[in-house]
Amino acid sequence: MKLRALIQKEFQRFFRDPKLIATLVLPGVLIYFIYSLLGSAIWDGEKNYSYDVLVCGSSPKVEALFEASFGESLTLTRTEDQESAKAQVKAGSITALVTFSEDFDNAVSEYDPMSGEKAPEIEIFYRSADDASSAFYTAATSLLSAYEGEISNAFDVNLGGEQYDFSSTSEVVMTILGGLLPFLVVTLIFSSCMSITLESVAGEKERGTLATILVTSVKRTDIALGKVLPLSCIAALGALSSFLGIALSMPKLMGLELGGMFVYTFGDYILLLALIVSIVPLIVSAMTAISTYAKSVKEASSYTGVIMIVVMVLSLVSAFLSGIGDWVAVIPVLGTVVAIQTVLEGGSALLVGLVSIGINLVFTALFILLVAKMLGSERIMFGK
Amino acid sequence: MEENAIVRAEGLRKTFTLSQKQQKLEKTAEKRKVAVDGLSFSAYRGEIYGLLGPNGAGKTTTLRILSTLIRPDEGDAFVGGCSVLREGEKVRDKIGFMTSELKLEGFFTPSYLFDFFGAMHGVGKEALAARKQELFSRFGIDRFAEVKVSDLSTGMLQKVSLVVSIVHDPEVVIFDEPTNGLDVLTAKVVTDFLIELKNMGKSILLSTHIFSLVEKLCDRVGVIIDGRMAAEGTLEELCGGCSLEDKFFEIYRSIKGEIV
Repeated sequence: MKLRALIQKEFQRFFRDPKLIATLVLPGVLIYFIYSLLGSAIWDGEKNYSYDVLVCGSSPKVEALFEASFGESLTLTRTEDQESAKAQVKAGSITALVTFSEDFDNAVSEYDPMSGEKAPEIEIFYRSADDASSAFYTAATSLLSAYEGEISNAFDVNLGGEQYDFSSTSEVVMTILGGLLPFLVVTLIFSSCMSITLESVAGEKERGTLATILVTSVKRTDIALGKVLPLSCIAALGALSSFLGIALSMPKLMGLELGGMFVYTFGDYILLLALIVSIVPLIVSAMTAISTYAKSVKEASSYTGVIMIVVMVLSLVSAFLSGIGDWVAVIPVLGTVVAIQTVLEGGSALLVGLVSIGINLVFTALFILLVAKMLGSERIMFGK
Repeated sequence: MEENAIVRAEGLRKTFTLSQKQQKLEKTAEKRKVAVDGLSFSAYRGEIYGLLGPNGAGKTTTLRILSTLIRPDEGDAFVGGCSVLREGEKVRDKIGFMTSELKLEGFFTPSYLFDFFGAMHGVGKEALAARKQELFSRFGIDRFAEVKVSDLSTGMLQKVSLVVSIVHDPEVVIFDEPTNGLDVLTAKVVTDFLIELKNMGKSILLSTHIFSLVEKLCDRVGVIIDGRMAAEGTLEELCGGCSLEDKFFEIYRSIKGEIV
């Protein structure tokens, strides 16, 4: 009954405060919008422009290349008045001006680079401040570089039209997710835990409301559990919100259909969920211990900052630890991160995963006992 | 008379390690400070017992030992027959402890906190509801029962803190410096509350350095100087006709010499 009342109090404190709920949901919503916008900027950037380009001089080959590449979005208009055309580009009334040196195509085919003579030339006048003009310039220079390479062709790489990359789309997705997600997941869980645990534990200690509970007959272990259990649930919800933000925006960020992201088996998803769920109480209980030890929220924040760096480094170095061996599972956080990474990359991580979940729970229990011990310490609870 | 003792301290001793900063402040090279030094006393059922002493005499440390927040290095104390060393949870169920260091969370309402702390002491739902109605109406909290604690006036907040501390109907109420830092109106709320508690048959142990508070409220008083019991008895026994203030400084001079 006492433990239930303690747990209910934490939930009441959190879910009746709109500000705290906002801190839970907002990161996920923000991540979704930022990543989606980023993805749109990367993948949709060139699609909607129409290019109105003036041409001075002539090159049937290059013009055909442009028309083939840009399609209907490009309108090429011939002009003789170069100065007037430049003024139009400057004014923004046309996209760009392309000028060819005299008899460009023939000059190119007869040109000997060893002769030392000036090479035939194409000039593109554009406005980098204008999105369409800039996009045309980037695409046109890229096309022309490729065309130039084709003319002085000595050898080709992968131009046979065969399928050279044997990786399937799902394997590519797995590689990208395996490299990116473990770090993101751990960082999101950590920041979600940090925002609520420091306020709830160090904040209560600083305000003197934790000491009020200490003079009741409730057991110290119940107080510790009464913090770690509900805060873990709340932190898991916060992490889930951020995780959903990432998962839903990831297809847009990577330029894939949403269905293209579902590349794992049901068992993989269950193991991933268990790994993520097991790391939450570990981090919450560690932060509860730090917050109980610290005299104020400020002091707890500075200690937690150090722990955050360690955890982030552990989640980053996991990328370089593939094949290090299953023993890594006994290191809290690192074992879980390696297991998450292995699953995301399509490997089998059942043993490492289960061991690391067990280790996380053992360390959680140890941290809870440590918190209970600290709650009974006069130096920690009442020291000046 | 000893069998009537509800609180019994036996040879309590408590020392603290001083940090370098504290050593400088106290102007001492000693690394340990004796806060309570072999303190023994008894408080009887139904009386208000006052621990009187200057700052740093060991009053707060003694009350913290009695409320099981800290453990003595030596000695033991008993509340309602339960040892603070061995039966901490039972002791905490027998006492209501109030100090300015213990606060209520401003986010919750008095009604919620009363229920919460009732649950912390294992009070049943029906008993809790009856007690809430009785205490809230007795101390005029009922109209503010659903107002957030952070929105209450200082006087009402003090009443709520007092009522919450006795939610479990404890035999003994322990108050550390009950009127310290309070304005005259809120201090009156507290002293009236203590008299009310005594009328309800509670045993009260309080610490203070305010002579008038002892003279107004206490049946018996123990004078603590340097962690030791310097004198103890009823006001009549102790003062013998002179004022408590005069008697206190007479005792103080006899132990410490002249007052600086």
